[in-house]
Amino acid sequence: MTGLPTHAAHAAELGLPLAHGVGSRHDLPLSPFYAYAGAFAALLISFLALGLLWSTSRFRGDLSGRPLPAALQRLADAPATRTALRLLGAAAGLVLLLHLLLGPDDPDRNPAPGAVYVLFWVGLVPASLLLGPVWRLVNPLRALHALHPPRNPRPLPAAVGIRPAAVGLLLFTWLELVAPDNTSSATLLTALALHCGVQLAGAARHGERWFAHADPFEVYSSLLARLSPLGRRADGRLVLRSPFHGLDATPATPGLVATVCVLLGSTAYDGLSDNPRWITTLQTSSLGPTPTATLGLLAAVALAAACYGLCAGALRLMNRSLTTPLTSFAHSLLPIALGYLVAHYFSLFVTEGPRTVIMAGGTDNASAPAPLLGPAGLATLQVAAIVTGHVLGVVAAHDRSVRLFPPARAVAGQLPLFALMIAYTLGGIGLLIA
Amino acid sequence: MRARRSPVATAPLVLVLAAVLSLAGCGGRATTHHKPGTSHQEATGTSGTLLAARDEGGHRLRELPTADAPTVRAEARPDSEGGWNVHLTVERFRFTPESTGGAALPGRGHARLLVDGREFTRLYGPWGYVPAGAHTLTVRLHADDHTVWAAAGAPVQTTVRLNGTPTGPTPTGPTPTGSAPPGSPPASPPTSPRPTASRTPDPGRTVTLTISGKTVSPPPSRIELKKGERLTLRVTGDRADTLHVHGYDRELPLSPGTTATLTLVADRTGLFEVETHGSGLLLTQLVVR
Repeated sequence: MTGLPTHAAHAAELGLPLAHGVGSRHDLPLSPFYAYAGAFAALLISFLALGLLWSTSRFRGDLSGRPLPAALQRLADAPATRTALRLLGAAAGLVLLLHLLLGPDDPDRNPAPGAVYVLFWVGLVPASLLLGPVWRLVNPLRALHALHPPRNPRPLPAAVGIRPAAVGLLLFTWLELVAPDNTSSATLLTALALHCGVQLAGAARHGERWFAHADPFEVYSSLLARLSPLGRRADGRLVLRSPFHGLDATPATPGLVATVCVLLGSTAYDGLSDNPRWITTLQTSSLGPTPTATLGLLAAVALAAACYGLCAGALRLMNRSLTTPLTSFAHSLLPIALGYLVAHYFSLFVTEGPRTVIMAGGTDNASAPAPLLGPAGLATLQVAAIVTGHVLGVVAAHDRSVRLFPPARAVAGQLPLFALMIAYTLGGIGLLIA
Repeated sequence: MRARRSPVATAPLVLVLAAVLSLAGCGGRATTHHKPGTSHQEATGTSGTLLAARDEGGHRLRELPTADAPTVRAEARPDSEGGWNVHLTVERFRFTPESTGGAALPGRGHARLLVDGREFTRLYGPWGYVPAGAHTLTVRLHADDHTVWAAAGAPVQTTVRLNGTPTGPTPTGPTPTGSAPPGSPPASPPTSPRPTASRTPDPGRTVTLTISGKTVSPPPSRIELKKGERLTLRVTGDRADTLHVHGYDRELPLSPGTTATLTLVADRTGLFEVETHGSGLLLTQLVVR
């Protein structure tokens, strides 16, 4: 591997956005061997799960978990720790803002675009998986809000749920995958101003609870943190627990389905946007590339949602007593979304992430380190991530289904969900072959 | 008494040194003791054909048959204090600063650097420096009488873009210019240096792409390459534009109707996009395994 610099050269000049905002090297398409291996594993595991998994629910959500030592909990909950994290987040936000305002408008010399699209957006995934919902601890907007908390915050209507965050996530993925010039300082500053404005206005009206429902990144981080081994029990104890329990404890708030569908659809569109046929469609479309790409992103989200809706409808038909078929199983899609995220973002994170850090340290024209894995290793990792996500999803759905369905119908009742998950997984692998 | 060495001992040393130096100085042409243009004879200046065309600086073009014409490649590397260190690779050409102003002799002369289309400096050797802020660098070869060496009606020159990260230390970075005037036959540009075919006998693959409006033909697809394979892209556009190979960061100016050629060695694995900057079109994707 030569150390030739990779960079999003002249991204501002391009009509077509680079996938992921930054990075000029994309992952190789999967070879048929890996694709078939992955698809076969997914099918086999699904059918084995149907026959072999337990017949009474085992996951106890946020009641389970082995408590961490009290000293560790005291340290984590100490006001000093919280304040330090808050200050850290505020400082990082300030540094980003200064880079955007004062730094050169060139993603090769300014670390800000890489910090937003790689360190922050992609980095939230491993951070949340390891440490739990980290973004709510460091969110600089919470620090800003704490300076002027409202006297009489109005309660947030229960029906709102995390729907604002779903919209926010869709807008951010649009910025990342579709928007032209998405690495230019002007675009990033506009997006940042819009985000801060909306969030601070909402928080000024509804109080600090607003962030947990409407800040897309807090919701994203909190949902991913459901799969973290580190969690908090219902009684407030910091515990180590199996990710299945954490996943099972995902609150069925309104908007959960929408959020998960945005995550699934946008990663699917990310895979699609590398496809030469789609690119030809974009370039020759009479609408222009950006509107066509926007429609494509919306269509991908809508397709993910429609598949899930169909499945939920089938579940409802099979079990009339299931009043909330949509939200009851939404949590089982989270691991599938996570598998996609790992498959799509792993190499971006390990190459562009260090490059951004080097750039922030003051080196111009930093070259990205060579990819960590060879093509075969990367393909294995991608397929393994997607199949693992599939397995976790299948197991989570199975447990929920034996809890909700009468025993006689529990196996048959899972069939629509399994069909859906196989469709998602094969679709995800298919997009990586593209 | 080392300081007062006898002159008898020094004289032979001086003679030997002088002989060595004079031999070294005459290394190119041992048949004459005079540098071109400094001889007692009047410089004839009949080398090549003097064309009526002039470059921006008013210098006439002096055409040589393509087989005899010199070629130039330029490579720009960023300097740690800003700006660019420029390295020229010339074929069939020698820098002859000592005879500048003399008659034009084939394969001799100097280079002139044009920064963003304006003359910036001359080079009497292969290395030079361009300060930061420059966007394009054109290197043009001049004869000793300041005429511009030309082949097939176009000056011998090359253009390098400086606003991106340059091609790094690999020697595969020639960006032959597509600066032939519009309307000239869309053959390979006369100034494009031939790839060093002696080193790699495998000519690699050639892919021809044509852009008209927003349509690329053949439509965008994936070119599958093995790592280390050579690829030659022949691109004809219908407007002035810049071709960019992502990941390899190779750029090539495109002029309307003229085929520009870019050769690269696929030495990084991954999926890379080949795009035009002005029109923002994706031409093809390189899949290097």
